[in-house]
Amino acid sequence: MTENMSRILEALIFISVEPLTAAKIAEVLPEVSPEEIEPALRDLVAQYEASDRAIRIVQTAGGYVFSTKPEFDPPVRKLLQIERKKKLSGQALEALSAVAYHQPVTQAEIAAIRGVDSSYSLHTLLENKLIKIVGRKDAPGRPLLYRTTEKFLTYFGLNAIEDLPSAEELKKLMQEESA
Amino acid sequence: MPIDDHQIPGPGAPDPRIPGGEAPAAELVLPAPPSETPPAALAAPAIGSSARAEEGYQIRLGMFEGPLDLLLFLIKKKKIDIQDIPIAIITREYLEYLSHKERINLDREAEFLLMAALLIYIKSQILLPREQPVEPDIDPRKELVDRLVDFQRIKAAVGVLREREEEQSQVWRRAALTAPLPEADLDLIEVSLFDLAESFFTMLQRRQGESLQVIQGKELSMDDKMDEIVALLKEHDFLDFLEYLGAHDSLEEALLAFFCLLELIKARLVVAIQEQLFHTIKVWLRKETSFAKVNE
Repeated sequence: MTENMSRILEALIFISVEPLTAAKIAEVLPEVSPEEIEPALRDLVAQYEASDRAIRIVQTAGGYVFSTKPEFDPPVRKLLQIERKKKLSGQALEALSAVAYHQPVTQAEIAAIRGVDSSYSLHTLLENKLIKIVGRKDAPGRPLLYRTTEKFLTYFGLNAIEDLPSAEELKKLMQEESA
Repeated sequence: MPIDDHQIPGPGAPDPRIPGGEAPAAELVLPAPPSETPPAALAAPAIGSSARAEEGYQIRLGMFEGPLDLLLFLIKKKKIDIQDIPIAIITREYLEYLSHKERINLDREAEFLLMAALLIYIKSQILLPREQPVEPDIDPRKELVDRLVDFQRIKAAVGVLREREEEQSQVWRRAALTAPLPEADLDLIEVSLFDLAESFFTMLQRRQGESLQVIQGKELSMDDKMDEIVALLKEHDFLDFLEYLGAHDSLEEALLAFFCLLELIKARLVVAIQEQLFHTIKVWLRKETSFAKVNE
């Protein structure tokens, strides 16, 4: 049963461009209970991990999606005619992690956290859809509030924002670094 | 609180370690004139540049993302406990870095100066005798320390994100193959609701001065309007957002057109794009739509 369910899910994930969420699966397969889907998904992911296929199934932004394994980066890039993936600048990354850890947050708050004006970085991040405007803060000037997006999660291969290291874990990281 | 440090280098009492205030910075070891640094490099210094900073004073401010970054570097270099910063020592070190600049570019370095002022202010708070301690338990350094600790955490998170970005840059998903406008320039900005609303209000304001008109009792339906927009887009490829809204006779009609456009954007049938910041907003028919129509 699980095996057949795994194969159905495999087909659904294969055809999905965006990560396939549990909610979407439930929509497509209303007769199947979540208790059946969960183990089937895990089984499917494990099957790909165990095989020596060039692709695997990853969980990101709350859904499942096919992804190539890192060792096949060069040929894939050649096919897509992409020299190399663009990386974020140090400034942008710093602004982004300030948003991620303090969201929802205003531009002024980010500038205070970093000690530097961050308008340019925020603009770059908005352009790349790694952050979005979620409204205005009830404060003088009604400044815009920013949050990270779903693309932020997929970009960094995170499943949920909680997957980022906690304040405690970051502290440990810092200690390791200075040790 | 023990004050184990003293003497802040100030205009009155120049620190012996900083070559005299008036003396030109020529004596200092500064490999390249700072003015030669291209602005682009300043705007986006390469990551890991602060790691190279061990080479003593041959580093430039441009290597630091900001004043907090420089402070953290100094704290690490001097092996100082972040919870108990000797303000005088750190201020002296900090000012020494600033003094290597022949000219201060206010656009970029105002923030570094602000931090210098804050350090000196904190030191003065520690030194000034008070008749009555305002709040004896509050360390004047506390706010800065809290900021530094938080910033340190953000830096650690940057490291984590950088690593993940590197990992992810080597794996590919199918989403990469279906960019919304594959033939279009990467600099295109899909605009947010806020941009659209702002644009709309600009148009309203522009038209406020116009004389009043008699409103004709016209039947307006959203469906008809949306059909009209789609038809126009098919004919013209794109519409100038403001121009189109402005072309309507009555406010009612302009509002309807605005809501129809929002509705079409929400339904992902059209896309609103700004080619560059401050450019006009253009509305395009989404490419996928035409595919969808073919499949039907």
